[in-house]
Amino acid sequence: MVALDDVSLEVDKGEVLAIVGGNGAGKTTLLKHLNGLLKPTSGSVKVFGKETKEQSVAELSRKIGLVFQNSDHQLFSETAESEVLFGLKNFGFSEADAVRRAGEVFSYFGLDSLRQRAPLTLSGGEKKRLCIAAVMAWNPEVLVLDEPTVGQDYLSKGRILDTIRQLVAAEKTVLVVSHDLEFLWPLDARTVVMMGGKVVADGDSQTVFSDSPLLEGAGLKQPQLVTISKLFGRSPSFRDVSDAANWLSRR
Amino acid sequence: MAHLLADGLRFRHQDTMIHRLDPRIKLLISIALFSVALLSSNLSQLAVAFGAIIVPAALARSLRRLGKVMSVSLTFAVFIFIINLVFGYGFLKSATLTLRFMAIVASTSLFFVTTSPDELEYVMRWFRLPRDFVFAFVTAVRFVPVLMLDLTQIIDAQKSRGLELDRGGPVKRLRNLIPVLIPLIVNALVRSGELAEAMESRGYGAVKKPTSLYTLRLASRDYAALSMTVAAWASILLSFGVLAQT
Repeated sequence: MVALDDVSLEVDKGEVLAIVGGNGAGKTTLLKHLNGLLKPTSGSVKVFGKETKEQSVAELSRKIGLVFQNSDHQLFSETAESEVLFGLKNFGFSEADAVRRAGEVFSYFGLDSLRQRAPLTLSGGEKKRLCIAAVMAWNPEVLVLDEPTVGQDYLSKGRILDTIRQLVAAEKTVLVVSHDLEFLWPLDARTVVMMGGKVVADGDSQTVFSDSPLLEGAGLKQPQLVTISKLFGRSPSFRDVSDAANWLSRR
Repeated sequence: MAHLLADGLRFRHQDTMIHRLDPRIKLLISIALFSVALLSSNLSQLAVAFGAIIVPAALARSLRRLGKVMSVSLTFAVFIFIINLVFGYGFLKSATLTLRFMAIVASTSLFFVTTSPDELEYVMRWFRLPRDFVFAFVTAVRFVPVLMLDLTQIIDAQKSRGLELDRGGPVKRLRNLIPVLIPLIVNALVRSGELAEAMESRGYGAVKKPTSLYTLRLASRDYAALSMTVAAWASILLSFGVLAQT
C-alpha cells in the first residue's frame, strides 16, 4: 500500500491554503506529516526549515496546531474550560498563564457562555469551535483544519468560516483540508488539488475551481456560484450570493 | 501492539481454497490444529504442529497476517518462558511450553483470519446458541477494527495536543491514558446506542424465529477437506505416539 507518493508542496508564512481532493486522495495523510504523527519513509518534510524526522510530535504540535475532523475524538474533560487547559498544561504553560490564555480564546471565539459546560453535551458546531479554540489557546504558528465542515449545519459552517477569516486577519498560517468546495470558495485561498497522493493542481481558487474537468477527475464538484458565473459569462466568478444578486439586479 | 493484533486477526476477503470452505470445516481444522498443539510435548512434536499450521495458512495466503498475530504473542511468550525458567522448569521444558503456547495461538488465529464475521454467525447459529448472544458476539468481533481505528485517531488527536503517552513513571503513564480512554469509551457507547436503535428500526426482535437467507451446506470440497483433516490429524497423533517413544 502506498500512502502518498509524489507530493511536493511549500506553504509560506501567513498564507491560507485549501487542500482539496476526493476520498483517499491522501489529504489527511499529508496533514499528519506536518506535526510528525507520520514521518516520511522517503523524501523530506520540513517545518520552519527543520526536518520533522528530527522533532517529536509534541515539539511540532507546539508550532502546528492540528484540529481533527471528529471533535468527539478530542473531547474528554468535564468542562469546556478544562478541555482548553489540557493542551496548555501539556505544553508547560504556568497555571496563571494557562487560565489567562483560556479566557482569551473563549472571548475570541465567542464561547464564554460555554465555559463550564460539559464538552460532550455541546452541539456539533460548538464542539468544533471548542476544538479550534483548544488548539489556538497555545497560539501555534500554523493552524491545520481537517475537514472542518463534516457534520456541521449551515450556520455552523458560517461560524467556522468567520473563525478562519479572523485567524487570517491575525496573520496566522491556515491550512484547510476539505472536499466541501462550497465552503472553501468564499475563502478565496490558494488551492491545491490532490489525487492519488499527487498534487494535480496548485493555484488561486478562481483558476482551480473554474476547471470543471480537473475537479470532476478528482471526484469533486464545482461550487455552484462558479457554475452560475460561467453560465452568465461572468468573470471573475461571484464570490458570494449577494455579489451574484447585485450583479443580476443591475442587468 | 493491540493494533497489530487487531490488524492481524481482522478478516479480509480472499479467494483461496481455505477461505471457500464451509466455516464448520474451518472450525474443525482449527480445533484439530489446536489439539495437535495442545498434545505436543517435545520440540520435534511442536515442529510437526507448526508445520501442520503453516500448510493451511499458506494455502489461505495468510502467513504474513498470522505472523503479525504471532509477533504480538511473542511478548507473552517471552513472559511465559521467563516465568517457567524462574520456577525451575529448565531451558528445554520452558522453551517447549512457550512454543506450545505460540502454536495454540496460531491454530486458533487461523480460524478468525479465514472466517468472516457472517460465517462466524452462521456457525454459532448452527450450534443453536441464543440469537441475542450470537448477535452480541459477532457485533463485538465486527467492531474490533472500528474501535482500533477510533483508538488510533484519538491517540493522534491527543498527541497533537501535546500529550506524550510514553512520558513519566508508571502512574503518570496510566494517567496519560485518561484522555484516550474517555473518548474511546464514550464513542463506543454512543455507537452501540445508535446500532441498537438502527437494529430495532430494522425489525430486530420482531419475530422469535427469524428466517435465514443463507444456510450452511457442505460441498464436495468440504467433504474432501474434512477427510484430509481427519486423516492428517490421526496420522499426526499416531506419529506423536511414535515420537514420544523415541
